[in-house]
Amino acid sequence: MSAEDSEHQRQIKAVSEAFEQEFERFARLRAGDVTRLDAAPPAGAEALLRDLSDLRTRHTGRKSALTGLKKLIGRVSAEERAAFGQRVQHLEAEIVEKIDDAERALKESSAAARIERERIDVTLPGRRLRRGHMHPITLVWQRIEDIFVSMGYTVEDGPEIETDFYNFTALNIPAGHPARSPQDTFYTTDGCALRSQTSTVQIHAMQRRHPPLRVIAPGKVFRRDTPDATHNPMFFQVEGLLVDRGITLAHLKGTLTEFLRRMFGPDTRTRFRPSYFPFTEPSAEFDFSCFKCGGVGCRLCKGSGWIELGGSGMVHPNVLRAVDIDTEEFTGFAFGLGIDRMCALLYGLDDIRLLFENDVRFLKQFS
Amino acid sequence: MNISYNWLRELTDTALAPREVAERLTMVGLAVDTVHEAGDDFILEFDITSNRPDCLSHLGVARELSVIGRGRVRLPEAKFASEGSAEQLSAVEIREPVLCPRYAARIVRGVRVAPSPGWLADRLRAIGQRPISNVADITNYVMHEMGQPLHAFDFAKLAEQRIVVRRALKGERLKTLDGVVRELDEEMLMIADAVRPVALAGVMGGEETEATDATRDVLIESAYFNPTSVRRTARSLGLHTEASHRFERGVDFDGVLRAQARVVALICELAGGTATEDAIDVRAQVFESPPPVTLRLSRVKALTGLEVPSDEITRILDALGFILVATNGESESDTARASVNATRVNETATGDAESLAETATATGAPQSALSFTAPTWRVDIEREEDLVEEVARHFGYEKIVDELPAGNVSGGYRAGDARRRAARRALTASGFDEAISFGFIDAEHDGRFELLPDLKSAEGNNGEGDAGGASIDGAESLVSLSNPIIEGVTRMRPTLLPGLLDAVRHNFNQGTRDVRLFEVGRVFAGHAFSNEPSMDGSLPREREALALVLTGGATEEGIAGAARELDFRDLKGALEAVFDTVNLPAPEFVAARVKHLSEGQAALVSVGGRVVGTLGRFAEEVAPSYKFRQTVFVAEVDFSALLAVEELPMRYTPLARFPSVVRDISLLADRRVTFAEMRGVVNMLGLAESRGVELVDVYEGKGVPEGKRSVTLRVEYRSDERTLRDEEVNETHQRIVGALEAECGAQLRG
Repeated sequence: MSAEDSEHQRQIKAVSEAFEQEFERFARLRAGDVTRLDAAPPAGAEALLRDLSDLRTRHTGRKSALTGLKKLIGRVSAEERAAFGQRVQHLEAEIVEKIDDAERALKESSAAARIERERIDVTLPGRRLRRGHMHPITLVWQRIEDIFVSMGYTVEDGPEIETDFYNFTALNIPAGHPARSPQDTFYTTDGCALRSQTSTVQIHAMQRRHPPLRVIAPGKVFRRDTPDATHNPMFFQVEGLLVDRGITLAHLKGTLTEFLRRMFGPDTRTRFRPSYFPFTEPSAEFDFSCFKCGGVGCRLCKGSGWIELGGSGMVHPNVLRAVDIDTEEFTGFAFGLGIDRMCALLYGLDDIRLLFENDVRFLKQFS
Repeated sequence: MNISYNWLRELTDTALAPREVAERLTMVGLAVDTVHEAGDDFILEFDITSNRPDCLSHLGVARELSVIGRGRVRLPEAKFASEGSAEQLSAVEIREPVLCPRYAARIVRGVRVAPSPGWLADRLRAIGQRPISNVADITNYVMHEMGQPLHAFDFAKLAEQRIVVRRALKGERLKTLDGVVRELDEEMLMIADAVRPVALAGVMGGEETEATDATRDVLIESAYFNPTSVRRTARSLGLHTEASHRFERGVDFDGVLRAQARVVALICELAGGTATEDAIDVRAQVFESPPPVTLRLSRVKALTGLEVPSDEITRILDALGFILVATNGESESDTARASVNATRVNETATGDAESLAETATATGAPQSALSFTAPTWRVDIEREEDLVEEVARHFGYEKIVDELPAGNVSGGYRAGDARRRAARRALTASGFDEAISFGFIDAEHDGRFELLPDLKSAEGNNGEGDAGGASIDGAESLVSLSNPIIEGVTRMRPTLLPGLLDAVRHNFNQGTRDVRLFEVGRVFAGHAFSNEPSMDGSLPREREALALVLTGGATEEGIAGAARELDFRDLKGALEAVFDTVNLPAPEFVAARVKHLSEGQAALVSVGGRVVGTLGRFAEEVAPSYKFRQTVFVAEVDFSALLAVEELPMRYTPLARFPSVVRDISLLADRRVTFAEMRGVVNMLGLAESRGVELVDVYEGKGVPEGKRSVTLRVEYRSDERTLRDEEVNETHQRIVGALEAECGAQLRG
């Protein structure tokens, strides 16, 4: 070995040693071995990266000893040049690889540290103000309205305090009828009645417009019932009225079936039972197949498979005559059902007094 | 009403089991609520509609069952020994022919009053009746069998042994069978003897003349009393009896003697004694049988959609006891058939159905219209539609098909419904739950609340809620109930607030302290003429109101506790959200004195210069029942008025082309200088480049002198022509600062 050669070897060794010495702190940072960094404060990884970058500049940069060696290659004697060049290149590759490895490891662990730092608990509650809730009566009311409006009905309205004419006489409830008694109907000191059924709106509607007409009248009604689990002195009803040529009980039944199917499901069936209401003749109570058990009988339908819902019938000729509609040309049907009762059915209410207690714990269950 | 299955089978043959009977009768309109076993019998509990008093008996139910089963009804036998004329023993005088059109008295002498035999007592017990003694039980039994209420007087105890049917005299009293002394009034019909009332006609007998163990002779009453009169007496005495229940609805005018004979026969059989040969039967009024009702056969289909063969129509009506009197307007050739009308009871003649149908078709021309006379026990048949129902219910409602009406009618919501729904959405989004309260409130709230301006003006009062108490109405302008269901709850609410405050109290009592509620509902006051053609008079004014109540913390969904307490501005914000959502001009708020609100924390709400409501902190001193432990804010606005305000037109404004510059101003000002005043000062300057003032922050407390507050405003500057230069902005800004300092007595803070 020539003196030149050993001098070169010494120089290479010196460069390598200088690098190894400085790199020592990074040496153990191989990809996957990042436990120490994980434990270190997050800023640590970034500082190390900066240090590593400095180290790269110092040892591979233009002014580095390594670059000095590379410049030397050209000046080395011809016979030594190849071997020397090879060694320098080898050294450079080794240094660069080590730094790259360390840098990769550091970046990975730094990214992992960042992820941990920014990790969120996705199960914390969403940030929103407590929202309010519409009353269950409103929810059912709107659903009923929407169904009937889509079937061509117009929503109508009338006063809650009515004259005797609208609440009784025009509905064919004669003087002396029990429904008129102050035991059953509320009266004001001026002799007006709190409407005891939304059928009153039938009369208003038929006075406002001529047949053919389709009207739905949801609203508040009053009857002098002492409050208990199934009664309130105030409740909500929907009255429906259709007057046209050639209308029969079959149209009434079909209409109710259609409505109830949209309300309770496509398999719903309806049933008519003869009954009596002063403002319809013939009259029918309507039941629908229990939506819980499908009609085989359960607790909800008391084993019968049917749920009673309301009263209906062909508009009484006296009612049509009271509003000057020709009973030979037109026939019509009317029906009434309780919104409160629908609420009780739909939401499983066992005590309808809850509807007007306005207990927030109750109200917030509906949306 | 309870019906015994075994008893029913004595009156008609049926192959149906008890539950089938219940099912089938329900489907013809006699609703059976329950069926339960009772020994070797079954009891069917009926809920009979008020138009069918004829079905308030085993006979009546059997009649319907016989139509279903195509069987016949057997009338109970009435054979007994008799002797002498009733008129020789007694007399009946009807002084009130309208209230008592018919009264029949028959006497049975030599009876032995004793407990009823086992079968009779058992039968009464089975249908829920308490056996007393043979005579009383027999009258009860026959009522349940035939539907005619009957009464047995101790004949010896009737003064002068005669009956006078008259009104009670003023001050008269009667101790009824239940041992209660009843105060009578002159509207009540009495059965009296020569000197005193002995029974409340159609309601209950008197104790003194009741048949007892010592009784030897009884007078059996069977009568027809005016339904309205019986109802009135029963109601005013609060005495609802089996008898009054039937008389109120109407008994069979022609069944009076038949039922009486049945009672007499049973008494003779079970209690011994000899009956008079006849009854004193006073018909004070001629009871005209109702005119025949004509049924056009086509009408059955026209009303029900059912295709009912004409022979089925006649079969059903005949079986129900209707008499065919004319076909196509021509009187039945068989006049004998028509003549049985008065005396015939359908029970004897069920076999006629076929022959009747034959007669009808035999007349040659196709039937198009048949005229029928209703049986006397049917009080509900007046017109063609009634006959259609009879046919349809026995032909079978279950045969009615589902059909949707044809036609192209377009539906729609009420005016304002879209805005009603939008308002509800806005309020629920603001955290308010929807409440519904009763429409009536306690009269103790009279005068406590400032009413909506429109309700006040219903009384011609234009007080605007300032300073006075005179603005609210005396109680006389409120709408009052004459028959409240809850004592004291006599007012139709003129305001929704008591309802919501009751709800707040309820929630506090349940341990809920964070409460935000709203209600939309009608309020009432005064009178206004109805704008619709009604036959009678005027109606109170109704307005739709919207009220809000808010108390507790600003709670977040899913978070325990609240970041801060809700206050006036939360309530105001919710109300503004409503205006905004329904596309109304922004409401204006002016501090004012409002009766039910704390002074200095109350405002009037107006829109377009018109006052529509109030809001502020509820003044607890208004009512002892509303002394709450925490602050409550309330608002009420006239929702009808809001719905009447035209929606703002929606129009696009071009977007700003040049950038704007914002400058903040922090001012120290007196607490009483309002934000609106400050904003007004800026706006009054009318500087083209200043595009609006917004509040950044209000602060008072540490570092701010007593009575002052720090207000930070942000002013936006912008030109439509160019980008403003800094100096330009500064100059305008200085003018604004100067104006604020000068006009609001404000100092610029460092």
